[in-house]
Amino acid sequence: MKEIFTYVAKYKAAAVFALFLMAIELVVELIQPVIMAAIIDTGVTQHDIGSIGFWGAVLLGISVLAFASGILNSFFASKVSQGTAYDLRKDVYERIQHFSVTQIQRFAASSLITRLTADVTQIQSLIFMAMRIMLRAPLFIIGGVIMAFTVNVRLALILAAFVPFLLLIMFFLMTKGVKLFGSVQGKIDRLNAIIQENLLGIRLVKAFLRSTFEATRFRKVNHSLMEVNKRALQLMETVMPLVMLGMNTGIIAILWFGSVQMEAGDAQPGEVVAILNYATRILGSFGVFSFLLMNFSRGKASAARITEVLLEQPEERLDKGDQREQKLSGQITFDEVSFRYPKAKQPALMHVSFSVEAGEVVGVIGETGSGKSTLVQLIPGLFPVTLGSIYFDERPIESIGVQQLRRQIGIVPQQAHLFSGTIRENLLWGNEEASNKEIIQAAEDASIHDYIISLPHGYDTVIGQRGINLSGGQKQRLSLARALVREPKILILDDSTSALDANTEAKVLQALRRRSCTVFIIASKISSVKSAEQILLLKHGELEASGPHHELIKQNAYYRTIYQSQSETEVFEHAGNKW
Amino acid sequence: MQETNGNQSGQQPARMPSRHHHGAPRQKPEIKNMRQTLQRIWQYMYAKKLLFFLTLFMVVASSTLSLLGPYLLGVTVDHMIADFQTSELTFMLILLGVIFITQSVAVWLQNYWMITIAQETVQTMRNELFYHIQLLPLPFFQRRQSGEVMSRLTNDMENVSRTLNSSVIQLATSVLTLAGTVSIMLWLSPLLTLLTLTIVPLMFWGMKWITNRTGRYFKAQQKDLGDVNGYVEETLSGHHIIKAFSQEERVTAAFHEKNERLRDSGYWAQTYSGFIPKLMNSLNNLSFTIIVGFGAILAVNGLISIGIIVTFTTYARQFTRPLNDLANQYNVVLSAVAGAERVFEIMDEEPEKDDPQAIRVERLHGEVEFQSVDFAYQEGGRTLSNIDFRVDSGQTVALVGPTGAGKTTLVSLLAQFYQPERGRILLDGQDASKIRRSSLRSNMGIVLQDSYLFETTVRENIRYGKLAATDEEVVQAAKAANADDFIQKLPNGYDTILHADGSGISHGQRQLLSIARVMVADPALLILDEATSSIDTITEMKINDAFRQLMKGKTSFVIAHRLNTVKSADMIVVIQSGKITEKGTHQELLKQNGYYASLVQSSSLRANG
Repeated sequence: MKEIFTYVAKYKAAAVFALFLMAIELVVELIQPVIMAAIIDTGVTQHDIGSIGFWGAVLLGISVLAFASGILNSFFASKVSQGTAYDLRKDVYERIQHFSVTQIQRFAASSLITRLTADVTQIQSLIFMAMRIMLRAPLFIIGGVIMAFTVNVRLALILAAFVPFLLLIMFFLMTKGVKLFGSVQGKIDRLNAIIQENLLGIRLVKAFLRSTFEATRFRKVNHSLMEVNKRALQLMETVMPLVMLGMNTGIIAILWFGSVQMEAGDAQPGEVVAILNYATRILGSFGVFSFLLMNFSRGKASAARITEVLLEQPEERLDKGDQREQKLSGQITFDEVSFRYPKAKQPALMHVSFSVEAGEVVGVIGETGSGKSTLVQLIPGLFPVTLGSIYFDERPIESIGVQQLRRQIGIVPQQAHLFSGTIRENLLWGNEEASNKEIIQAAEDASIHDYIISLPHGYDTVIGQRGINLSGGQKQRLSLARALVREPKILILDDSTSALDANTEAKVLQALRRRSCTVFIIASKISSVKSAEQILLLKHGELEASGPHHELIKQNAYYRTIYQSQSETEVFEHAGNKW
Repeated sequence: MQETNGNQSGQQPARMPSRHHHGAPRQKPEIKNMRQTLQRIWQYMYAKKLLFFLTLFMVVASSTLSLLGPYLLGVTVDHMIADFQTSELTFMLILLGVIFITQSVAVWLQNYWMITIAQETVQTMRNELFYHIQLLPLPFFQRRQSGEVMSRLTNDMENVSRTLNSSVIQLATSVLTLAGTVSIMLWLSPLLTLLTLTIVPLMFWGMKWITNRTGRYFKAQQKDLGDVNGYVEETLSGHHIIKAFSQEERVTAAFHEKNERLRDSGYWAQTYSGFIPKLMNSLNNLSFTIIVGFGAILAVNGLISIGIIVTFTTYARQFTRPLNDLANQYNVVLSAVAGAERVFEIMDEEPEKDDPQAIRVERLHGEVEFQSVDFAYQEGGRTLSNIDFRVDSGQTVALVGPTGAGKTTLVSLLAQFYQPERGRILLDGQDASKIRRSSLRSNMGIVLQDSYLFETTVRENIRYGKLAATDEEVVQAAKAANADDFIQKLPNGYDTILHADGSGISHGQRQLLSIARVMVADPALLILDEATSSIDTITEMKINDAFRQLMKGKTSFVIAHRLNTVKSADMIVVIQSGKITEKGTHQELLKQNGYYASLVQSSSLRANG
């Protein structure tokens, strides 16, 4: 919460002004009963019409003042809340952009999304409320009691006795309620998990005839959600009747003592009326107060989630590298590279050494989990190596500016991720300055050009959420074209030709060879990389062997086993339709 | 006066779109048939009708008492001022006390009961919806994204729940209080009432002025909010691409632009909507002034008493509040009705239904015959045409062909996930559509390509195949599926809890478990979809062996990716573009020298080259 306040501080002037305007409104409301008392005591009882007219005009005047303050307050309050929300979103987003891949994974992208959207909105409305009514309810309660004292001390004492007592009850019930709502949230999460699991496995549920079983499972969790939810809500609903009862008892007490005092001549009827008026208004404030408390506790949770992101130091290695433009040739050397993911027990790569000449095609082969993807992710420095080092043209990776390095590397990930927009815009991701010719060349090399021009709007066809849907293979090829548009010196294909048929795959490989760049191909089938100058065979994070196919097949037994098992179990074609 | 509408301080309409529809902010709820929807909700509440009527009774009681309280308070004050008769005063105070206590109790009971009704209603609806979803045919799930279906079970139901919790009571209370307040005010002093009512046109005019503006700005704000959320979602889920292409600066700049637009539209939307409570508040102040000022003049002339003024100020406050509440609640109710409609829309989806003459079958032998079967997912399209072949009991059929040729569709038809458009599928000579789905599927075991496992123990995952299986049977099945070895090595053996994200065990091991799951069910017919992903050689061998174990004596349909499997099949069916182009044994097809032969050749070429 503290960090959020420093954000609000930027709008100090507007905030102070908004609070000041709110205070004016508050004062008006507090003096109204006093004026009313004056009208009754001086005007009505003494039959003084002039005095009534005068105080009536005053009452009207301050009401207009309160209205004007309220309207103005709205402007300043939304300036503060919208401004703060804007700054928060801006800073959180920037911060996330500087996070390393590990950090984003640790927070989980989905959680970061909710923090940036729902949580910020929560804070925004909390601030708006704070600028307008949050302080109002407590201030009104305090102010009301004080004003009551100025009217009649003894009667006010009764009022003052009830307020803290009621506040205590309210706080007690609210804290219990908030805790209960916490466990409601937990139950909802559990319910959602079951639904999600069920929907994802729906074919299985059908195949095994488990709908009744699933429904029973759901019913159980749903029931316990209902129970907790009911308890929480019902507890919260006891707050108001209890407070009402307490306050109304106070009113009766005031009436009783008021009458006693009036009898003794210690109090005027107007005074009793005024104090009663304060009492009923304070009663109303309690309702607002309990509502605010709920909002505050929710806002506090959101603030904590946002602050967590803001306080996280970006792990992306400090860019000490040379920022000047420097051309890479594509030559890479791994020297005794070891890597362990943060918090992982086992290292993902151990003592990997190899060297690749510029323009070579390198195949990376190994079982799932052998470290293939990890190895190539180290090349653009997405993760820093734990031990050993990587050299580009004999220069250590740390000495090259991150921007400089990544600008010359093209990555085609396993899961093609495209952004909504036109095809052209997506291809320009690779290189904003690319000419039309370069774009088309890249698309042709990725064997997607023909498809693109067959679309009604060609390169300007909108894809993504609001546009047409592409098949997995089309996405992969677009993602490849996007990488090619950068004219990379190093190209990394992370198992990204899996959705292509053998023919297209061969065609693409040929096109890649014409470009003078070093290509890393991660593949599950040896047949995809057989023509590579060098094949890296990984096993449990270690480099088991490396060399061209014809050497490996002779020298390495493990490679031979894989090769034989693959040719026997040769895959006819790839990934069938999902059920 | 106190803020008349504590629970909506102006930011209300700026609701966040829920997690499940980012980028598509909820516009004004669209309602198709309000009356019908309300009736359907009522049917669910009908189970609690007695409690509901008791609740309504309490609402009437508490509303009446909330009107009676201030009135008696005024009378009491009058008594105090006029003459100090202690006995009468005591009586009045006791009466007041009783009223206040009863009122609190009534309020508490009405809320307590309403929550019970609301929560149990929602529970029933949710259970029914969930069960209904289980019965829906497969095409339903292909038509809709699972996130969207999920959102109906969660967000939309939550919306209904919240509204039932509070809105029913609020609406009833508002209407009652409004009517009661106006009539009491009229009875007390028609003149003062008339004066108080002068603020009503002011209120309407003011509200109209404001909502004209807020409507416009809220629309803009919703759009901008949707843009920001959509962009955040897209760029954060694609963060690895942004990093790899080092485009951080670019997306940050684009984000700032959207963020700024949101701030600007949000500013005006919030400012204008912030006027509403202030307007209500000021009108309250105004009516207070009118009542006190004019009331005092009337009192001086002896037309009314001071007590009436006191009473009137209280009623005047009670008068603008319900008006405001009604306006607010109306929107809440609308959005809940829209949510309920989305729920009912799913409930109205036709579930998988058996033919009325469908019969139960016990154990099938496993003879399968496709008789000129046609099928299309979409009108006009054609996924399968003229599929015609016959399999004897205990045989293995390998389905071979390029991606998208229709192999998966074919076995889906066999499992009655879809109905053929033309032609018949015969099981033991019996038309499959005339067999109850439940008895048909209980004869069938399916191993999918991606082995889906549930987030529970290994034991329960295997038992999913046959709920009545003893622990003994589970272990037997695991052993037969070559899964026992690795299960024993897991931290808690058979009681190890698996995670949905697949962590903990390898891909191949997941597949072994899904084989064990079918093994325990021991079906007569098998549908296997071989995995294409690379699995280490040893596990691969184990899987092959497990498959062989499983297929023993059962009619099996295998969507085959491995030459070994295909070679050993009793019949190979080659499917291309939805048609059977070749069928026969490995040897026969090699002789035909068609697609299959070329496939075998190219793969052995690659193998030997």
